[in-house]
Amino acid sequence: MMTEMLIPLLTAAVQSGTPILFATLGEMFTERAGVLNLGVEGMMIVGALAAFLVSLATGNPWLGVLAAGCAAAALGALHGLVCLSFLGNQVVSGLALTILGVGLANYLGTPYIGKQAPGFYAFDLPFLSTLPFVGKIFFKHDALVYLSYVMPLAFWFFWHRTRTGLALTAAGEYPPAASAAGLNPVRLRWLGILGGGFLVGIGGAYLSLAYTHLWTNGMTAGRGWIAVALVIFAFWRPGRAVFGAYLFGGVMAFQLRLQASGTQVPSSFLLMLPYGLTIAALLFSALRGRGGSSSSAPAALGVNIEPEQ
Amino acid sequence: MFGLTVITRQEPPKWGSCLIFPAALALSLGVSCLLLAAQGKPALGGLIILFQGAFGASYAVVDTLLKTVPIFLCSLGVAVAFRMQVWNIGAEGQFALGAVGSTWAALTFPGLPAWLLLPLMFTSSAVLGGLWAMIPAWLKLKLSINEIVTTLMLNYIGILILDYLVYGPWKDPSSYGFPMTKEFPAAAIIPTFADSRLHWGMVLCVVCALLLWVFLTRTRLGYELKASGESLRAARYARMPHGFLVLLVMGLCGALAGWAGLMEASAVVGRLQPSLIVGYGYTAIVVAWLAQLNPGKIALASFFLAALRVGVENLQLELGVPAAFGGIIEGLILLSVLAGQFFNHYRFKRSAS
Amino acid sequence: MTTASTATPPVVQLEAISKSFGPIKANQDISLDIHAGKVLALLGENGAGKSTLMNMLSGVYPPDSGRILIDGAEVHFVSPRDAIDAGIGMVYQHFKLVNSMTVAQNVLLGQEGSFIIRPREMEARVGELAKRYGLGIDPATRVSTLSMGERQRVEILKLLYRDSRVLIFDEPTAVLTPGETEHLFLALKQMTSLGKAIVFISHKLKEVLQVSDSVAILRRGEIVGNTPRNQITSSADLAKRMVGREVLQEIERGEVIKKEPVLQLQNLCGNGLDNLNISLRKGEIIAVVGVGGNGQQELVNVVTGAMAPGEGSVQLLGRDWKQFYKRPSWRDTIAHIPEDRLGMATCPELDLTDNVLLTTRQGFAPKLFLNRTLALDVTKTIIRRFHVACPGPQAHARQLSGGNLQKLVLGREFFRRPQIIVAEQPSQGLDISATEEVWHRLLNARTTAGVLLITGDLNEALQLADRIAVMYKGRFMDVFDASDEKKIASIGLMMAGVSP
Repeated sequence: MMTEMLIPLLTAAVQSGTPILFATLGEMFTERAGVLNLGVEGMMIVGALAAFLVSLATGNPWLGVLAAGCAAAALGALHGLVCLSFLGNQVVSGLALTILGVGLANYLGTPYIGKQAPGFYAFDLPFLSTLPFVGKIFFKHDALVYLSYVMPLAFWFFWHRTRTGLALTAAGEYPPAASAAGLNPVRLRWLGILGGGFLVGIGGAYLSLAYTHLWTNGMTAGRGWIAVALVIFAFWRPGRAVFGAYLFGGVMAFQLRLQASGTQVPSSFLLMLPYGLTIAALLFSALRGRGGSSSSAPAALGVNIEPEQ
Repeated sequence: MFGLTVITRQEPPKWGSCLIFPAALALSLGVSCLLLAAQGKPALGGLIILFQGAFGASYAVVDTLLKTVPIFLCSLGVAVAFRMQVWNIGAEGQFALGAVGSTWAALTFPGLPAWLLLPLMFTSSAVLGGLWAMIPAWLKLKLSINEIVTTLMLNYIGILILDYLVYGPWKDPSSYGFPMTKEFPAAAIIPTFADSRLHWGMVLCVVCALLLWVFLTRTRLGYELKASGESLRAARYARMPHGFLVLLVMGLCGALAGWAGLMEASAVVGRLQPSLIVGYGYTAIVVAWLAQLNPGKIALASFFLAALRVGVENLQLELGVPAAFGGIIEGLILLSVLAGQFFNHYRFKRSAS
Repeated sequence: MTTASTATPPVVQLEAISKSFGPIKANQDISLDIHAGKVLALLGENGAGKSTLMNMLSGVYPPDSGRILIDGAEVHFVSPRDAIDAGIGMVYQHFKLVNSMTVAQNVLLGQEGSFIIRPREMEARVGELAKRYGLGIDPATRVSTLSMGERQRVEILKLLYRDSRVLIFDEPTAVLTPGETEHLFLALKQMTSLGKAIVFISHKLKEVLQVSDSVAILRRGEIVGNTPRNQITSSADLAKRMVGREVLQEIERGEVIKKEPVLQLQNLCGNGLDNLNISLRKGEIIAVVGVGGNGQQELVNVVTGAMAPGEGSVQLLGRDWKQFYKRPSWRDTIAHIPEDRLGMATCPELDLTDNVLLTTRQGFAPKLFLNRTLALDVTKTIIRRFHVACPGPQAHARQLSGGNLQKLVLGREFFRRPQIIVAEQPSQGLDISATEEVWHRLLNARTTAGVLLITGDLNEALQLADRIAVMYKGRFMDVFDASDEKKIASIGLMMAGVSP
């Protein structure tokens, strides 16, 4: 009886957590290269719109995903231009990007409210979906969810077992070391912004092509900000990000179910759950981290690279 | 990058930073025109409607001035917080809580005369807004929790609290399902000047600006605030009361944003409703960065961005342009200003090939 | 100017190199030859232009005019990568290492190789290289756990891995104990015997004489001498050429009567400090010497009130630490002159008046309001009396040179009439004339205060101190009179933890 209630909830948690996972990994990618990007919310929603429009126009949702990644990366490129080329303040630039991105998406998306686009639908993975309990929770989803299973591993492998990952780490920890080694830390940070932005875009694409197949104004509802917090909560490591993303997915799914069940609790309080949980998560990390999570942060995070002369 | 090298300037440029904002404005409006055209709307015509909406008639200017008040108050607080490198993104939520606080006073004590009720409302909105801001401040001080995320989360929560109250316990039974509280009693409305719609809140703005200016330039705490914001290490070395200053600054910011909420609820609308929340807290970030800590510049920038909002409303009316259009312009302005400020300290040179 | 008879052609030739930053001419018309298998010492005061020259040679920025030739062919470096590819490598004074990565990762950063890296293979390669050159280090250790001497070895390994032919060492002994310095010199000999060319940048005359084959002297951006080692007679001779006048190697200290104790540490333990006992009296200077990172920072933190003492007692001006720092006054108490002038002692973007107010503000604000006009007057007085060269009190701290900034800081702190002065590396980075001024001020301060001098410069300690305390791993190896010759001779040993 318990499992009958739990399984649909956990399945919904995975679904709900997937866009957050993509966005968190994307922001983590950027931050580990040393750039603080507070524009995730704007990039995510721009990605969602781009995915929707392209999928609607071409009938191919995969092209939509590609477009989402590129659109989010393009928006991120503005952040890169301001911070990496013009040495602007990274915090304020990211905020500006969110204001711009949200405005842009809501403006361009208004004519498409309520329309439907071809998207991703759930299918069973052969054999794996027949496994008891886990099979139903993890292996009866759409293609993007399956992609998200691979992402954290690919992320870890890229950062710890490739030369580029090593170079990006140096750019995020101590750019002078990268320069002295003959690398270009600014170029590496560009890679961090564009690569991370692409991932964030995919997270947005999930919202408009898989989680729903519609466009709604403001459909990210703060998920981008939750991703920023989750990067801190995950101590900048991909494994913990998975845990955090599914936790939030679970809470959001739970909140929806509770609302639908006609409970006495006012809907406003239910809607507060994810945001309150974010603060709780940061509290938890701070208490656990003992000396603040700042000790695990990339040492040069948020600090622009000053010119030599 | 791109064959250019960055060189540090030995002294600031002669033609000064006054060119940056006009250039940024021009760039943003230019891109906005393109976006209008992309949606099949008249580009230049749109600009004219924008301008007319803000300045075209006397009632338009009044609209702009009315919007300047909440933006100004929020920006004043945010600018002071930013000066101390405390990134308060939560003015929106503090605004909401301030509106809630004033509504509580107005609805709980409807019988009080204005000279008692209004000060009570000011107090309650400042307290609520200030407390809402001090929570993330305290978390930052005690646990080093990033205030950007906490203030932002509290925005969402604060607005939801307002929603709950308006749809729930404070709902006006005669409103036929529209989300709003009962009308404020007459004693709770901030009076206007003579026949116009302009209200005494504008005087408050001037008073706040003056007080803040005196505080920052003439007092010891104001000096400590300036120095602490410059270099955290020097502040610790010089034994600045850093923790106290952070709390003070955030409390001030929350109170000012709270008063902005009070203004809108009391003077402009006359009741509490969710449509009060239009993003003044986020616009304040743009203003604060444009104007740094100069109250005169803050006033000017607030007026400009208020004009932008009113103009966009007109665009909405005349051309059916979504309200989100304003966000595009604001975001672009801030990005271009950030990029433009580069030239205060650096310049480009062709790389040796 | 070229060095005297060497048969082989030089590996690197600098011809008429010049570089300016705005109105400042950092390097003017510099010509130098660097030969394989030889150590060229580049001697000069701070600010003479050594760093600028080496930055150009290592590709950080290009010269304004002149040529760089490698093996006789002209080269243009657009980035550090070009210099590395040409075989030039630099061991920086402030190590360019990523602390969170391992030794092997740091060595292989930016190197050619496969896209996918295998940690064990990396570590094997780096370990083998380290053995070959006698630089014992475990390639799998995280750099954050290494000592300064070990970190320097990693820097050297980086260059050796790339087969650098020219190795430039920028003030390499600043962070080493005397023992580690000897090891470094041996390693240099090993490298030259294997055909590497070494450039040794320093301002320490004795070391230059010990290790070099030829000495080039840089003064105010120009080469004023380039001599083979065997033609140099003494360090005094060298010093004169470096500064252009007779250098005051000995300073007039003058006797001052010692009065009551102003600072007393008894059995101070905890936070990295180990059983410290010392008593500083008004009228004396005690120098605490030792390699950086052996507890000096913690000692300073406790004495200046930034960190509470663990166990034991700390008495300042007769009062217990807790009492003293409960309500610290701005005057007649303790002054701290930190090592970090720009960023800690001053705010770079504030003007000089604001910087003077930094530690004196309570004196100008009896109640709520701040008396800025009075502060401005005081600032002007300080500028005048301490000879602070600046455009005026409205200048930003960032615009002042190191020496003038230090003079401003001294003036501000002395304005507070302190009875205890804690001075950290007060003459670091200053040229000789500024150093002398600072030393004179500190000596004069003895009439009203006791001075605790934290320094890594043994010469400074010997010049100024009445007593010397040698610090190692948080404890005083010994505290002795500055006239005790025998003890002075064993300072090096004590700094490395060996009891005499």
